[in-house]
Amino acid sequence: MGIIIKAEGLKKSFDGFEAVRCIDIEVEEGEVFGFLGPNGAGKTTSIRMLTTMVRPTSGNITINGFSLDKDMTEAKASIGVCQQHISLDKDITVRQNIKHHAILHKMPSKEIAARMDELSEFMCLGPHMDKKITELSGGWKRKTSIVCSIMHKPKILFLDEPTAGLDTKSRHMLWDLIRQLNRSGTTIFLTTHYIEEAEDLCDRVAILNQGTVVALGSPKELRDSIGGMTVEYSDDAGRKVMRQFPDRQSGKEFMATLGENTTMSLRRTTLEDVFLIVTGEEYSKGGA
Amino acid sequence: MHDIRLPRVLDEAYRVAWGDLCYFRENVATILLSCLVGPLLYLIAFGYGIGSGMEKGVDDYIRFIIPGIISMATLSATFSFISSKILIQKLFYASFDELMLCPIRPSSVVLGKSLVGVLRGMCSCAIILMIGILISPGIKVTATLFLLMFVSSLTFSLLGILAGLIAKKHNSLTVFSSLVIVPMTFFCGTIFEISNVPAPLGYAIYTLPLTHPTESIRAVMLDLPMPWLSVLILCAYCVLFFILDYHLIKRRSF
Repeated sequence: MGIIIKAEGLKKSFDGFEAVRCIDIEVEEGEVFGFLGPNGAGKTTSIRMLTTMVRPTSGNITINGFSLDKDMTEAKASIGVCQQHISLDKDITVRQNIKHHAILHKMPSKEIAARMDELSEFMCLGPHMDKKITELSGGWKRKTSIVCSIMHKPKILFLDEPTAGLDTKSRHMLWDLIRQLNRSGTTIFLTTHYIEEAEDLCDRVAILNQGTVVALGSPKELRDSIGGMTVEYSDDAGRKVMRQFPDRQSGKEFMATLGENTTMSLRRTTLEDVFLIVTGEEYSKGGA
Repeated sequence: MHDIRLPRVLDEAYRVAWGDLCYFRENVATILLSCLVGPLLYLIAFGYGIGSGMEKGVDDYIRFIIPGIISMATLSATFSFISSKILIQKLFYASFDELMLCPIRPSSVVLGKSLVGVLRGMCSCAIILMIGILISPGIKVTATLFLLMFVSSLTFSLLGILAGLIAKKHNSLTVFSSLVIVPMTFFCGTIFEISNVPAPLGYAIYTLPLTHPTESIRAVMLDLPMPWLSVLILCAYCVLFFILDYHLIKRRSF
């Protein structure tokens, strides 16, 4: 397994505003890589640069061994993209949108019908295939977008907030699909607002803040980096405070120092705790 | 533009056009009807209305304006349709983004997007031509005429792509249409002889792209000497619009 996505010194400015200040990342072939960050952190701009949609102000990107500067068309052939906003042609039907996507990605015509049947069945799109996009609800539009992005069996799948707007059942269905695709060898690059989604699905996560990567590693490595155990308690002013500790024992020792009437609990540190700390939210960092 | 290899570009252009062709096929009657109304109204209003008061008589004038109306149709059937479609796909559907994500060369995107405009233009011209043959049987129809209609439809489809890519909102397209396209339909010799207008205005008219298909199509249909300079200028406009579209798409400057 080698590096399949490589970004070096990636920067993007819009009219003097630095949306992405400097990003260096390497994604291994076959992994599920998550991009987390608060609103405006530069996630979508980064993914748009990685997927050729936006030209970086500076920096180099290599996708599946192809430089985006020199071999953009070849790089595009390796990727599938499900964008944050619905980007379907509303003048034609679901079936025609999916087929058009396959045609644009030069799928052999013999394979198109079988693949369409397979995916529409998996995503329960069957009854909607001959509807116009405008006749669909947001969730069905999202599912159609996802089917389009994976029709051509890309080596790398970029998913920009793919579960936004989906109900719980559909979200779990998509998670299953992501796992299934990943098992079959597809590298997944995922941005999400749902931290539990990243924690559950991703092999590694990069946390972005103000246009730069502030933390990178597996969910476990990131949790351990701030302390694997968290004590949650109320301070004298009644505010909720959390402190991290490397192990259960040191957490318990700290709890013993708190007053008897203090409400407190000891739990495992979550990726959300890491996210809040590294993105600079009001948070008390403890003994770790 | 080293990546332009014709068979591959044409194959990819068809792939790009596939979605638009589906829409065209399903809405062919509405689409053709909408692009025929304007030219046919001009034919009736100018041909029979104004033509009946002319010295040479209505038949001669109708014979004169049929090529102008056909030339006008290559503009009216293509430009607005393509520019609006590109703008909508770019701003509202965002499906133009999807196209940009596919392994398709910019030259193929340009040709593919113009294809449905060319089809619309050619269908409109063919219908007007049939009507023209019925009301003025003397006009000549040759393969060169179809070639000119094709190049002209392609040129104005490419101009439509350019306008659709540059426009940031629908209002910009409306303004461009009002200031450039509508005057062009009247001024470019479609309904009058350019030699009849004052010389400075005549020179200005010759800088506009619609003048040249009008002159060339009229020469073929009325069996006049072919204005090769106009044919050349028409082809030059076609190449110029293609290059501008190509660079906008390649650089994603839209």
